[in-house]
Amino acid sequence: MTTPRRRPHAPAWSLVPRVNAPAARHLLSRTTYGATPESLTDVVRMGSPGAWLDRQLAPATIDDTACDAVLARWPLASATAPAVEAAISQGSWDAMEQVVQATLARALWSKRQLFEVMCEFWSNHLNITCPSSEVWSTKPWDDRTVIREHALGTFEDLLLASSTSPAMLLYLGNAESNGDAPNENYSRELLELHTVGVDAGYTHTDIINAARVLTGLSVWNRWNGGTPANQGTLRYRSDWHYVGPVQVMGWTHPNADATQGKVVAQSMVRYLARRPETAQRIAAKLAVRFVSDAPPQALVDRLAQVYLAGGTAVVPVLRALFGSAEFAASVGQKQRRPYEDIVSVARALGISAHSDPARDLGDLAWTLGQLGQAPLGWGLPDGYPDVTGGWTGAGGTLGRWNTHLGLVGGWWDNGAMVFQRDLPTYLLGASRPATRGALVDALLARLVPGATVPAQHRAALIAFLGADGPLGQGDLQWDFEPLVTLVLDMPQRSAR
Amino acid sequence: MTVSRRCFLQGLGVAAGAVAASPLLSVRASYAATATPYTGPVLVVLSLRGGFDGLSVVAPVGDPDYAVARPTIAIPASRALPTGDRRFGLHPALAPLKPLWDGGQMAAVHAVGTPDLSRSHFQATEELERAAPGTSLRTGWLDRVVGVAGSGTPFQAVQLGDTAPSGLLAGPEAVLAAGSLDAFSLSGSSWLGPRFATTLRALHQGVTSPAVAPATITLDALETVAALVAADRTPKNGAVYPTGGLGDAMADVARLVRGAAGLQAVSVDFGDWDMHTDLGAAGDGKMLTHLGEVAQSLAAFAQDLGSLFANVTVVTLSEFGRRVEENGSGGVDHGHGNVLLALGGGLNGGQVHGTWPGLAADKLDDGDLAGTTDYRNVLVELLVKRQGLSPSAAAGVFPGLSPAAVGLFR
Repeated sequence: MTTPRRRPHAPAWSLVPRVNAPAARHLLSRTTYGATPESLTDVVRMGSPGAWLDRQLAPATIDDTACDAVLARWPLASATAPAVEAAISQGSWDAMEQVVQATLARALWSKRQLFEVMCEFWSNHLNITCPSSEVWSTKPWDDRTVIREHALGTFEDLLLASSTSPAMLLYLGNAESNGDAPNENYSRELLELHTVGVDAGYTHTDIINAARVLTGLSVWNRWNGGTPANQGTLRYRSDWHYVGPVQVMGWTHPNADATQGKVVAQSMVRYLARRPETAQRIAAKLAVRFVSDAPPQALVDRLAQVYLAGGTAVVPVLRALFGSAEFAASVGQKQRRPYEDIVSVARALGISAHSDPARDLGDLAWTLGQLGQAPLGWGLPDGYPDVTGGWTGAGGTLGRWNTHLGLVGGWWDNGAMVFQRDLPTYLLGASRPATRGALVDALLARLVPGATVPAQHRAALIAFLGADGPLGQGDLQWDFEPLVTLVLDMPQRSAR
Repeated sequence: MTVSRRCFLQGLGVAAGAVAASPLLSVRASYAATATPYTGPVLVVLSLRGGFDGLSVVAPVGDPDYAVARPTIAIPASRALPTGDRRFGLHPALAPLKPLWDGGQMAAVHAVGTPDLSRSHFQATEELERAAPGTSLRTGWLDRVVGVAGSGTPFQAVQLGDTAPSGLLAGPEAVLAAGSLDAFSLSGSSWLGPRFATTLRALHQGVTSPAVAPATITLDALETVAALVAADRTPKNGAVYPTGGLGDAMADVARLVRGAAGLQAVSVDFGDWDMHTDLGAAGDGKMLTHLGEVAQSLAAFAQDLGSLFANVTVVTLSEFGRRVEENGSGGVDHGHGNVLLALGGGLNGGQVHGTWPGLAADKLDDGDLAGTTDYRNVLVELLVKRQGLSPSAAAGVFPGLSPAAVGLFR
């Protein structure tokens, strides 16, 4: 059903060269969970990579009906905390698992790919391990109203939303923090991870003062007077708010009124979001995400300027980044992490969503966990490593190779995914290559388009089948899946 | 140790700290060590996740408050295995390990605590494995050990049982994670034969890519494991492991030690200690079964290794101990102070080390056994006396700690 086909107004993906194929592939490779014939076709239809990017930066304009229909099977993934608490038993992980699976489904099937990549980026920047027991009822609302609401908005609004998000307040212990003995966990991470960074020159006194500012930001629950209507929602406790002058870096506030703690916290959070150190950190992180593991400082400086000039708006920074010479020159400089790798393989193989709403993606999410990158699952507040060095273990490499074969072979056929029934036709089209060399060339063109493949690699793939020459009996049968897997295992394909 | 990471990175022209995250490459410059049989020390960290009830394992039978606090689940002095110390007796399920205790190849430290007083499994585990309270470090302590003392082989740090990364080994050092040695194999090889791996190797030659080094290590490790598994299919010295994940993992550790592939640190998980209900008395319940599996697995491991066991140190860690008082469900809730078990060579064995704070109400820490020995002090002593780290290098693994002697290791 997803066999590439000519639509009345859509040129086939083989016509991509007309819109500068290398640039289009590079942009798609970095801004999506893997280019597909369909996404390349979209670029062609829009006339240029820039036009495609504009569209991706306005995700609401992209029709995503098909993906939305799949998401309907995880109703708790975007539910309010009271709704979650009413729907499942206390402490159940069901809602968090639904968030994980909905996230995975969007990566696989949403057309708003850059939006999903940015949601992943911010979910890691403001990491709340999911699942983890403290946030069993509150993570869905955080995902919806913090991350998804502000992923392409301003960082200031994102951080403000995060600082009053029950999930964050529970995850980093602020929900139990009161003025007599402030819990410094959240304030430390707010400075170190979420904003200015550990080298910004703040002191332990700044951390204590930030913790004082945040006191009173708590969460209703069934033991502190909460009702079914408000459990898991924000509770401001003026009786827990520290009162008295506070200073954090260059920001000061008299903080004289216990009832106004939320306003004081907002003022501090806005200040931190606009610090130049925060601009540098966000710019550097985006550059590490999209350009290279060690991005040029000149680029980071320019992006930081755009960030500050735009009032912390994200989209102008992304436009500057994707339009930069540094980005254009960075082809091949990022490696796919396990999540990006496996999702991109699934997309390349045309795996689609099952229509049965009872099916879930638990198996694939579990496999990603075994590979070290369960969606949203990083166990510490700092988010998954975004550089190659974090992902070099032998078990992980082997696991990826084995998972590739499992996906090519359709070994998950009981899950939420539907595999191509006729993989040779899906990947090669209706005609069949005459020779083994032609078969290998066709698969390389399809699965690692534009990559430089040394002659010896081509020869090795042919030799896997046997001597070059006419196709053998098993080449499109029992040897086809391992051959496709080998192409997917190539180092040229591990680049993002 | 081959080349320090800092030197290696400088050699690549990469400035350490150029990015916010960890250094870019953890792959060691030299794998020559794989060719040389490794016969040095091996550290086995057995993570008993869920909150191990140390008061049932090395039971304070001589403390009058013990039986009072636990009217239905205390181990009676008459049923406990004698330790040579009238204050303590071992749970009867530890009978398979009694010969090691008596032979000086097993000891315990009681009332071990952590600086973190969280009773949350998640937070306490994170802090236990990070072992750097009050700092910004995001690595696991075992990763830092490998960072300063790693052999440079793909087998220097191994994680068995679960391939999802353990917090202990979180960080820049390469870890070989496998469900089991037998499962560490290339899917497809069974019906495709060697041509699958041969092609994979060819595809990772003659090209410059960050993917090449990990792939090469993986292909080498596959060959090493295959050879090791083929040469060493059965336990030695008549050892019989119990059925189950822990026995399987320990049998694999024994094979890796015997295979001299360079194993220095291995992380093994054995969870399910969260016994809020039906912990059981000496003769029944969850503790008897679960602790019995630990005892049988470790006893078989020692027997399997024979004289090589002297090169090994097994140490148990758990995120917290449990409440002194039993609850209304025949179990115990989350607590603090705990017991730490150590097995292998180099021990001041057959003893219960540490400072026993007592179980009287005024000695408890918020209802829990107080922690009187910081677990990091046990680990520093282990790293110095057993793993060959200098005192400063060992202390450096645990920032902010001023090490104090425990006396567990000779």
